[in-house]
Amino acid sequence: MANSEFDWPAKPSLVGTRVNRVDGPDKVTGRAKYTFDINRPGMLYARMVRSPYPHARVVSVDLAPALRMPGVKTALLVRDFANSKNNRVMFQGDEIAAVAADTEEHAMDAARAVKVEYEVLPHVTIVERALDGTAPAVFNGGNVRDARPAQAGDLTAGFAAAAKVVEGTYSTQVITHTCMESHGTVCEWSGDRLTAWISTQGVSGARENFASALGIPQANVRVLCQYMGGGFGSKALSVGAEGLMCAKLAKAANAPVKLMLDRKEEHLATGNRPSAESKIKAGVSADGTITAFEAESWGTGGAGATSDFPLPYLYQSKNRSRTHKNVFTNTGQQRPMRAPGHPQGSFHTEIIMDELADQVNMDPIQFRIKNLPPEAPNAMWRSYLLEGAAEFGWSKRHATGDKTPGPIKTGMGVSINTWGGGGRGPSPAHCEITSDGGVIMRLGTQDIGTGTRTLVATITADALGLRASQVRPEIGDTAFGVSALSGGSTTAASISPGIRVAAVKALDALKEKVAPALGVPAASLIASGGRIHVENEPGKGMSWADACKQIGPQPITADGDWRAGMSSSTTSGAQFAEVAVDIETGIVKVKRILVLQDCGLVVSRLTAESQVYGGVIGSLNFALFEDRILDRNTGQMLNPNMEWYLLAGMSDIPRIDVRLKDQPERGVIGLGEPPTVATAAAIALAVRNATGVTMRSLPLTPAKVLGAMRQTRA
Amino acid sequence: MAKKDDSPDGLKLDRRNFFKTTGLAGLAESIAAPAEAAAQSTPAAVGPGDVPVRLNVNGRQIDLMIEPRVTLLDALRTRANLTGNKKGCDRGACGACTMIVDGRPVYSCSTLAIEVQGKQIRNVDGLATGDRLHPVQQAFCEKDALMCGFCTPGFIMASVALLEKNPNATPEQIKKGLDGNICRCGTFSRIFEAVSSVKGGQRG
Ligand code: FES
Ligand code: FES
Repeated sequence: MANSEFDWPAKPSLVGTRVNRVDGPDKVTGRAKYTFDINRPGMLYARMVRSPYPHARVVSVDLAPALRMPGVKTALLVRDFANSKNNRVMFQGDEIAAVAADTEEHAMDAARAVKVEYEVLPHVTIVERALDGTAPAVFNGGNVRDARPAQAGDLTAGFAAAAKVVEGTYSTQVITHTCMESHGTVCEWSGDRLTAWISTQGVSGARENFASALGIPQANVRVLCQYMGGGFGSKALSVGAEGLMCAKLAKAANAPVKLMLDRKEEHLATGNRPSAESKIKAGVSADGTITAFEAESWGTGGAGATSDFPLPYLYQSKNRSRTHKNVFTNTGQQRPMRAPGHPQGSFHTEIIMDELADQVNMDPIQFRIKNLPPEAPNAMWRSYLLEGAAEFGWSKRHATGDKTPGPIKTGMGVSINTWGGGGRGPSPAHCEITSDGGVIMRLGTQDIGTGTRTLVATITADALGLRASQVRPEIGDTAFGVSALSGGSTTAASISPGIRVAAVKALDALKEKVAPALGVPAASLIASGGRIHVENEPGKGMSWADACKQIGPQPITADGDWRAGMSSSTTSGAQFAEVAVDIETGIVKVKRILVLQDCGLVVSRLTAESQVYGGVIGSLNFALFEDRILDRNTGQMLNPNMEWYLLAGMSDIPRIDVRLKDQPERGVIGLGEPPTVATAAAIALAVRNATGVTMRSLPLTPAKVLGAMRQTRA
Repeated sequence: MAKKDDSPDGLKLDRRNFFKTTGLAGLAESIAAPAEAAAQSTPAAVGPGDVPVRLNVNGRQIDLMIEPRVTLLDALRTRANLTGNKKGCDRGACGACTMIVDGRPVYSCSTLAIEVQGKQIRNVDGLATGDRLHPVQQAFCEKDALMCGFCTPGFIMASVALLEKNPNATPEQIKKGLDGNICRCGTFSRIFEAVSSVKGGQRG
């Protein structure tokens, strides 16, 4: 890449430092307004009516009893079931209707009063029954769909070359996103113009969604999302049935309407991570090379959605084959969930890696290094494994099975990860500098909790030689221009270049204003320490405030957009886990996690580290706690809440050490997904190392741990 | 709501009717001492429609006309525009709604507004003094103990309640004290750091 004035600075003042989250004060005081907090004058509250059955025909829906309830203003069907070919509900929680009333309590009463007559149909919710053909045929074209098989090399030769062969069945469970702020929308019409506040990962996409579904021009829709309480992928792809119903109710009632889902609806109908099961047979040569990797896998992504995942994950085998079956069940559809596919692929692959290593008496780290692709800037696993091993004290790791007497066994495990996280345009940014010294950086992106405002302020202030607090980031509004959705760890890499370009251009314009007053050429000026001055001569210049006084009534404006070379794609990381297992109770306690993770140029170190903590804890939840449990007879979810859908609390959190591996020369790369891939496998392998028993199925509940130990002893 | 009379003195009378017929509503206080028992006693029959409810929130009196079934959380969020504390689960499992009532942390989603009349209610909207953050809020900002921030008001109120009761809480006490709150973004490590850095209301 040729040098340009927009290149990331060699000696940044703020980029890469620990800037406090700029909207922290708004969040800790409760001033930050989330969609759930938007209260409009005359606003109504809406609730959805949903199917309690996993599969049924909607015979009739009578809204009249609901409309007679106190405070009810309007009620609408999601579609005309009587005159639609599509009159079936396909999962518990599938949408039927929505009602709006003057209070939330009245809306709840009214939703219950809607009379729905169902013809309950046979359902399929158990994956094994779909596979063995004993489940009723529910889906047109079959409950099971083969994905495209993948093949390489010669399996037979590979197994013939193996000194040892390992076979196992591995599985990971369905989990739900469980964003703390539920999905929801506030819609307000003015004539044929819609303003929508929505908890979304993409305001631009939401605008397109509303406009096309409602048959109005996109120009008539303004979408706002100033703050949102998490998305993790579940709020990325569409405004959902609830978003559209909110807009339609608001139109019908001629009043603003708020429709927020409750916790049960969140679990049932707003996405999940698909289940994954696999039967793997792998061969290893005496020198520790994987000679063959044969995998059949399957999983359910719900009613008509896929469940594929990478397998093997990262490790190489010349000879391999893979088949996958997408199993359709009468459950809510999957949606992308933080690093879609990778946590599953990681778990299924990493467990068998340690089994293979044991077969040839190799240390798991040496074994991994032997079977990884060559080292490269985006494939640094070898270095991270060795460096992490030294810091973590891997040399103290005992062989499989802690021989220490007593019921508490400890062990260590390790696992690796990758993710793309590249940037792309268009991702325009607009910068204004006003004569009073104010700086606005405006762009149509959104903050899903990662710290986007802080990133915007950091890059801008860095370019202008200011403090982050001197920049006003304006985001979360389609009025600020188009922007890609915040998903797949693409936000930072997409928006950062445009921000820097706009800021540098604005500064150039300011220099032109200031240069005559100083009697120096504009090109000799730089901005640093809150001043505009001649390079290497801080005395020859003026303060930011004085410099801006030269601007005049018309602010300086400048636009930037994404540029190739300022961001790149693909990260690598390694994670180490140490656990203690009580073999009498089966309780697993994670003691320590060490993370080595790169993400190119670190823009905002404090918030980047927070992403890593969050990813690790998310994966720890996947390893130990989370599980969507369905009743085997009714197909209904047994734990659609937060007391039986288990999530870690403060006492479950281990010590977590985060080592960000800077690669500033690569430009900005996203960090949301990578750290949530590897932890679960590292924990399960640590449990294996502690107990001597291979845990091939998540979550590692006490019952499962005890069960696995009993089975091994028998 | 307790349906049967669970008064400690073994009174078999339906207390609600007893008070109604004798017109001695004020007697409730004297009979039902100590305070814990008073909290369990059946309140006078009200509703089902709107009734006047007077709340003292952040030192300010708020008069509402609401149904008796309205929770403290909904009363403040939807009727008083005090939206600082959030609703995560609406059934006492996530802690996002944590407020302080008479010095104790409560899940306001599982507390009826009508039951906390006459009590001192504090939510996150009233914690800072103007632009001056409470030391706990300050610590959350400095340690980056938040991401999306949706759980944050609940964690902050739980932390404040904990530190007011026990200014020198040990690491174990901090963990226990915050075990009733969930953060889906996974900020626990830094919340722990933040709360640990606040000692006796002072920055440590
Ligand atoms: S909203 Fe009250 S505990 Fe979750
Ligand atoms: S910061 Fe998002 S839930 Fe805690």
